Amino acid sequence: MSGALAAAAAPRRPSQARAALLRGQGLVGLVLVGIVVLAGLLAPVLAPYGPNEQLADGNLLESTAGHLLGTDEVSRDVLSRLLYGIRVDLLVIFIAVPIGAAIGSLVGLLASTWGFADVIAQRTFDLILAFPALILAITLATIMGPGVVTVSVVIIAAEIPIFGRLVRTSVLSVRELPYVEASTVVGASRWWVLRRHVLPNSLESLTVQLAVSMSVAVFVEGAMSFLGIGVRPPTPSLGTLINDGMRNIYVAKVQVVGPLVAVVMLVLGFLLISQSLGKARRG
Amino acid sequence: MVRYLIRRLPSALAVLALASVLIFLLIRLVPGDPATTLAGPGAPPQALAELRSELGLEGSLPSQYLSWVGSVVTLDFGRSFVIGGDIGTLIAEGLGNTLVLAGAALAIALVLSLLAGLAAVILDSRWLNAVLAAFSTAGLALPTFVTGPVLILVLAVLLPVFPAGGTPPGGPFEEPGATLEFLILPAICLGLPVAAALSRFLTESLRTQMRQPYVMTARALGIPRRRIVVTQVLRNALPAAMTALGIQVGYLLGGAVLVETIFAWPGLGQLIAKAIGGRDYPLVQVLLLLSVVVFVAIQLATDLIHAYLDPRVRLGGRSG
Repeated sequence: MSGALAAAAAPRRPSQARAALLRGQGLVGLVLVGIVVLAGLLAPVLAPYGPNEQLADGNLLESTAGHLLGTDEVSRDVLSRLLYGIRVDLLVIFIAVPIGAAIGSLVGLLASTWGFADVIAQRTFDLILAFPALILAITLATIMGPGVVTVSVVIIAAEIPIFGRLVRTSVLSVRELPYVEASTVVGASRWWVLRRHVLPNSLESLTVQLAVSMSVAVFVEGAMSFLGIGVRPPTPSLGTLINDGMRNIYVAKVQVVGPLVAVVMLVLGFLLISQSLGKARRG
Repeated sequence: MVRYLIRRLPSALAVLALASVLIFLLIRLVPGDPATTLAGPGAPPQALAELRSELGLEGSLPSQYLSWVGSVVTLDFGRSFVIGGDIGTLIAEGLGNTLVLAGAALAIALVLSLLAGLAAVILDSRWLNAVLAAFSTAGLALPTFVTGPVLILVLAVLLPVFPAGGTPPGGPFEEPGATLEFLILPAICLGLPVAAALSRFLTESLRTQMRQPYVMTARALGIPRRRIVVTQVLRNALPAAMTALGIQVGYLLGGAVLVETIFAWPGLGQLIAKAIGGRDYPLVQVLLLLSVVVFVAIQLATDLIHAYLDPRVRLGGRSG
């Protein structure tokens, strides 16, 4: 009994998650994602040319000293396009996903407190989750037209129910814990319980989900751009660059390699991060 | 079972009804008049009026909706304005090709996961297990728009073994031998994630069975490990892995959309990509509705199998 109480009274501190990120799997993941993020952020410094600058060096070049990843059919430097293209994916990863996560968490938090709102929120989540993300993407893209904004809206719409459910579940489970009941008994307000007990407890599962969702965002951007309902040319993104590279694969093989490597680094990086966080959480 | 089905059916029908309303509204939410978009600028007013009535854009919204649902239910889809031809025929052709691709992918996935599962349990070597785990993680994590281009780059461009995409000149059903060559890369690309997921489930299920007392008895009787696995353990481990297969069938159809676009395979996925690209809204609508129907049906079937296997779901009050 005393053991159970002690375990219930001591929620694990986030420092454990931080430690997991700084060794082994987590560190590798962090480095992989970090390299891509830096490459994107420093694009104006690193890129030898502008993303849409048409050069006089000839089109569809293979790798040369001046153009490490060659040039595309209208003589743009592929390396420069790759560096700038990463930025679009950083936008959906680090802005669209957190927005969806924040809205979803807020809805989940509020819904779990009022019974009536809970029913409505649950049914809405069911409905969104009933559709595969691709159908959602096609529908929204038909209405809104292709573009970065559409990709972001699809990602936000897909993330809201996932985070809403996650937060709701953890609220419901935390509320039953002995020490939370105890704090309610001694007069803690509903808001206090949410902020002091529920939020710290759900933080760990939220960060794991955040890492998973970020790799899903890379997937959604790529898939939508590939189907022609994502980022519109001439704006480069990882998805459109793979698509361009595939078109020229017989003449300039090297063109497709850069964006492929970037996607693999991002996806595997986020996977390793989420796995190491998950392991730290299970202890 | 029947009682569970009756309880589960209303929510499936509700999703379908709501989806059909949303998809119906789609063409009305698109900015601009769809008839003008399709007919192009400068079309005579009479042609516009004809087009509008053919698109079902006349009368009140509810009556438009009812006539649209009525025509879809009777499989009278109308004609495609951009691609040309009867929508029903286009879908039937695409569906045939998609099923061929999905079937080939499923076959590859089954063979690969069976081999991986059996090898993991029979050989049980640490090195092999690590390699298999790495492969299944990569197979699950990497999107098809990465594995597809890598397959093309390696097996079609650098080593010209297979064609990079498309079908033989006479279509996929003209000459099965030639089609096989075109089918292999997309089928591997589509089948890889399924193989990764299935082999995980199967290996886990096989390992659980290996810990059962009957395996120890058989070992004590001196039956070789390989024979126990093949004749006894595999048969007992399969049902659990079968449930995972149901979920994967849904993935196969969804994943086909992308894989077909990558490899220019003329299935439903490519049809939907073409329809979106050409703003062929009537075709997009029908394809969307069709995919929702298939998706809801698969979900319902998976739930039913789950309920059949687990009485707690079948009889329980709260399902989470």
